[in-house]
Amino acid sequence: MTALLENLLDRAPLGVAVRIARIDWTAMSEDEGRRLREFGLMEGSEVTPLHRGSIFSRDPLALTVGRMKVIIRAKQAAAITVEPTA
Amino acid sequence: MTGAIPSIALVGNPNAGKSSLFNALTGARQKIANYPGVTVERKAGHASFADGRPLSLIDLPGTYSLTPASLDEAVTRDVVLGRQEGEKRPDALIVVLDAANLDNHLCFALELLALNLPTVVALNMVDLAERDGLTLDAERLSKELGVPVVPTVAVRKRGLTELLAAIDEAIRSHQPRAAEAAPANDASLHQRARTIARAAILNETPVRRWTQRVDNIVLHPIAGMVILLALMFVMFQAVYAWAGPPADALEGLVGVAQTWVVDNIPQNFLRDLVVEGLLAGVGAVVVFLPQILILFLFILLLEASGYMTRAAFLMDGLMGKVGLSGRGFIPLLSSFACAVPGIMATRAIPDEKDRLTTILIAPLMTCSARLPVYALIIAAFIPNRGVAGTGIGLQGLVLFGLYVAGIVGALVVAFALRRTVAKGTSAGFMMEMPRYQMPGWRDILLGLWQRAWIFLRRAGTIIAMTTVVLWLLLTFPQAPEGESQVEYSVAGRIASGLEVVVKPIGFNHDIALALIPAMAAREVAVSAMATANAIDAGDDEEAMAQTLGERLQGKWSLATALAFLAWFVFAPQCISTIAITRRETNGWKWPMFMVGYLFLLAYAAAGITYWTAVAFGLG
Repeated sequence: MTALLENLLDRAPLGVAVRIARIDWTAMSEDEGRRLREFGLMEGSEVTPLHRGSIFSRDPLALTVGRMKVIIRAKQAAAITVEPTA
Repeated sequence: MTGAIPSIALVGNPNAGKSSLFNALTGARQKIANYPGVTVERKAGHASFADGRPLSLIDLPGTYSLTPASLDEAVTRDVVLGRQEGEKRPDALIVVLDAANLDNHLCFALELLALNLPTVVALNMVDLAERDGLTLDAERLSKELGVPVVPTVAVRKRGLTELLAAIDEAIRSHQPRAAEAAPANDASLHQRARTIARAAILNETPVRRWTQRVDNIVLHPIAGMVILLALMFVMFQAVYAWAGPPADALEGLVGVAQTWVVDNIPQNFLRDLVVEGLLAGVGAVVVFLPQILILFLFILLLEASGYMTRAAFLMDGLMGKVGLSGRGFIPLLSSFACAVPGIMATRAIPDEKDRLTTILIAPLMTCSARLPVYALIIAAFIPNRGVAGTGIGLQGLVLFGLYVAGIVGALVVAFALRRTVAKGTSAGFMMEMPRYQMPGWRDILLGLWQRAWIFLRRAGTIIAMTTVVLWLLLTFPQAPEGESQVEYSVAGRIASGLEVVVKPIGFNHDIALALIPAMAAREVAVSAMATANAIDAGDDEEAMAQTLGERLQGKWSLATALAFLAWFVFAPQCISTIAITRRETNGWKWPMFMVGYLFLLAYAAAGITYWTAVAFGLG
């Protein structure tokens, strides 16, 4: 159970590909959830977090999903549980 | 199809290169207007098939699905479904896909194909896909989708003839069928899209992506911020450094026109109106065209190259702290050119309170209409020399400082608004980051041309009108011998009334006179002063020969000049901005609020600047 926090996309190390295990859709609005799915962020997708924030804050997070690079806020990333790729 | 001109809509995801394709197909034959009832821009244009038959094209806002998340995305859905008021349902669709991002873009394409309209897929930016190590099979993709697929490179004009031929054929051979049930944008749709993409991708070499290497530097938490600041700094220095010669040339041209009128038309009321009113006033504003174009050039280049989204990423942390999101960065940066398109661009912000706050602070971004005012005052009062041997111009530095003052003011105001009138939960920020690409010069030039045209039309209508009205108010009633015409006129007397209010913050009669007509547009302050000075100079040839700047130098103290600059950082003197705010917020409440708080800030800022400067002995 200690690894639980480590498994959130919010905390995932940069540059390492991970697979999305679960998304807590209740942690975000319906529109935000749909936009995530439109970006291709859903259970089973492989993503690589790449850049996090600037000197001002840890927000937002840039990650690749497929051949696309998208930006999300840490709040949404914290609702996404990831697991190592096989 | 019968004789009617077929109308074809370009649809696709954001960043699929739709607008470049639209520009490549229509060239300069385009018209930008608004959809009735909504403020979303309607971009329409004309093109022709190979045999010369015309077709009309509309460029729809980019979206990810037919379920909209914002106002402009809703327009795309409504037009495609034939529900948009005042817009005929298109006869055919060109679905634009980014060749390098097939599995994602195919999701929306599949949704659109289910509508069963005549459709052709433009597999756009195939050159960039190849750069990324992708080889695609367009025929296979066509077989999988059941519609023609044409590879295109919009910025290089490749594949356009084939695309038009395919759409012509698709319309001709179309068998109307009922639309299928729209597939839900969920896992199964994505699965289908991925399967099709896999089938169409012949070869995928894992090349180290160029974009990633650049991003490692550009999005670096510290280095990235330094680069962003440096870029902004270069942009504002360039506005000054490059605009000199063309601006001088334009000024010369206005002078030539004035001399020509004076030499060829006998002295009468009309000649004075043209020379002192129209030419002096409009000319004073038109000379700033080069600076405005340079600023827009930078903004268009940043946008077309893909850098703008990186800037939004970097700024999101800071903007998040005051309750905004990185989404707001693009409207706010556009507001540096003009708050009107900036405020319109806030439609892409999904959160209502976030959007309202962004609208209310947009006028604090230093728009191009302030440039004429800043440029005039800076040139006249700030010495043109370097700062302590650094090679940085002092004038450019002051200009940069004025921009920074606007930005800091905006952040403070946003912080306050988000805790009071626009309270709400922190806004979200979700955005796609496009790949870097070489901007197409045709797209940039077309964009510049459209901006230049808007600016000149403004100079020719609203500014020309206010200047003429002002000239009339300045000319009548005629002052008796020995009295100043400007002081004696109707405008002069109104200004004397206003002067009482603005005297404490160091403003003189000149400024009071310029402020009233400048309610129409900020740059009118310059044309108003030019007109007043032209009348004031009268037949005094020596005074006529002086530039406006030289004349102000003789009449104003440095403290007054600085206070005047500080005033314009905040003052909401722009009818168009007030009108667009009314339209975008559906009522008078917010525009009135905006005007009120900005005037208060302007008065305070000018006052503090003036009193401080006087305390330092600059009065």
